[in-house]
Amino acid sequence: MRWLRFLIGLVIALTIHSLLDSFFPNALAFFSPYVILVVYYAMGGNLFGAIVAGVVAGLIEDAFSGAIFGLHAFSLTVIGYLVAYVASRLVMRGTLSFGLALAGAVIVNEIVIYVLVTILTAHPVQLFEEGMIVKTILTSLFGMLIYQLLALFLREEPVEAVRRAAVR
Amino acid sequence: MQVAVERRPTLLFVIVLAVLFLLMSTSQRTRVVGETRTLFERTVMTLFSPVPKTVNSVGESALDIYHGYVDMRREVAENVRLRRQLAELTNENIMLRRSSGDLARMRSILSYSEQFTMPTTLAEVIMLDTSGRFKSAILDRGSDHGVEVNDVVVHPSGLVGRVILTTKDLSKIQLIVDKGSAAGVLVERSRRQGVASGADNGLLRIGYVPNLSDVSVGDSILTAGIDGVYPKGIPVGRVVRAEEGSDLFKQVVAQPSVDFGGLEEVIVLHTRKIPPEIVGYEP
Repeated sequence: MRWLRFLIGLVIALTIHSLLDSFFPNALAFFSPYVILVVYYAMGGNLFGAIVAGVVAGLIEDAFSGAIFGLHAFSLTVIGYLVAYVASRLVMRGTLSFGLALAGAVIVNEIVIYVLVTILTAHPVQLFEEGMIVKTILTSLFGMLIYQLLALFLREEPVEAVRRAAVR
Repeated sequence: MQVAVERRPTLLFVIVLAVLFLLMSTSQRTRVVGETRTLFERTVMTLFSPVPKTVNSVGESALDIYHGYVDMRREVAENVRLRRQLAELTNENIMLRRSSGDLARMRSILSYSEQFTMPTTLAEVIMLDTSGRFKSAILDRGSDHGVEVNDVVVHPSGLVGRVILTTKDLSKIQLIVDKGSAAGVLVERSRRQGVASGADNGLLRIGYVPNLSDVSVGDSILTAGIDGVYPKGIPVGRVVRAEEGSDLFKQVVAQPSVDFGGLEEVIVLHTRKIPPEIVGYEP
């Protein structure tokens, strides 16, 4: 069931990606739906699931963007692992926690990409671009909104889902 | 195997990162040599390609609908603006035509009034009743403007009537077509005199014209200047019927010179006033 939700989330993220690319070019420089998806999934604390989610979401983002294939897969895997690791050891519940996790995830994502691009290409990108603050804020706010809506309509938080799964 | 991997996620994490790094290196190398997509990348794109295609198709359709809607709104707004502009221009056109007509009429009236030696006042008809039992008009000039009872009211096309009542700023006119009115007239061609008064259907009945007199259809009727009210020579109408009567007089009917339906400005002739040069005369 959780994988089905993830798949639906992935299709929605890709839809948003396509929409933004088609009608608002460069909008993805200020907003990342894939980070929201992976962090939401990783908030459950399942390390294995978070890694798989990061790889799959990242590969799809890479496939439909001009980045080096595997770049976002790498960064999102790192994010998923880190968030899941923290979530499995700390109690992270509620919209604010999710927003903070998202903000941290966006920053980590940018750092990882910067490092990888520096290693792999002859023309490294800037570490902190002007749009990064905007991207952090927008992604966090939009993610918090989605989190709130999901908690409202699905009546289930990711942490609780994993807790129940662990009990089973 | 899966259980083992799930129990050691950190190991899986490291392996995945290593694989991804290799994938990136391969991808980057193929980019440099010109091939920008690896087989794996193509596979992922192919698998998920329906999503962006559908999004693009739906988005384009939505955009088309939106643009159509925006265009329609713009056209509607443009249409409303043009209609408003048309209304304003039509209104302006009407006002200009009216001003032009007013100007021509005023010129005509003023030039007409210059032929009279007596003092005159230009007045506007503010009320007009030509369909009732008593045919009358109200002018916007009264005793304050020098208008007095029995002053004659004329129009460039002919005789209108006489003043029968005045207030300070208004005056009432008995129209020549009123059945109670009477004016001494003459046939311009034969100089035969008679009395004009109102008849049915807005026409004039010319009474007291002998059967033996020479009056025929089309003759012009002018004021005779013998009744002590109307000055001589003002056009009154044109004969439309002239038949011998059963008694001594002919039955003569005339069409008034003035179109009372379209009466707007008139000239009041102050026939009873003593001319200023005579008032100021010192022997």
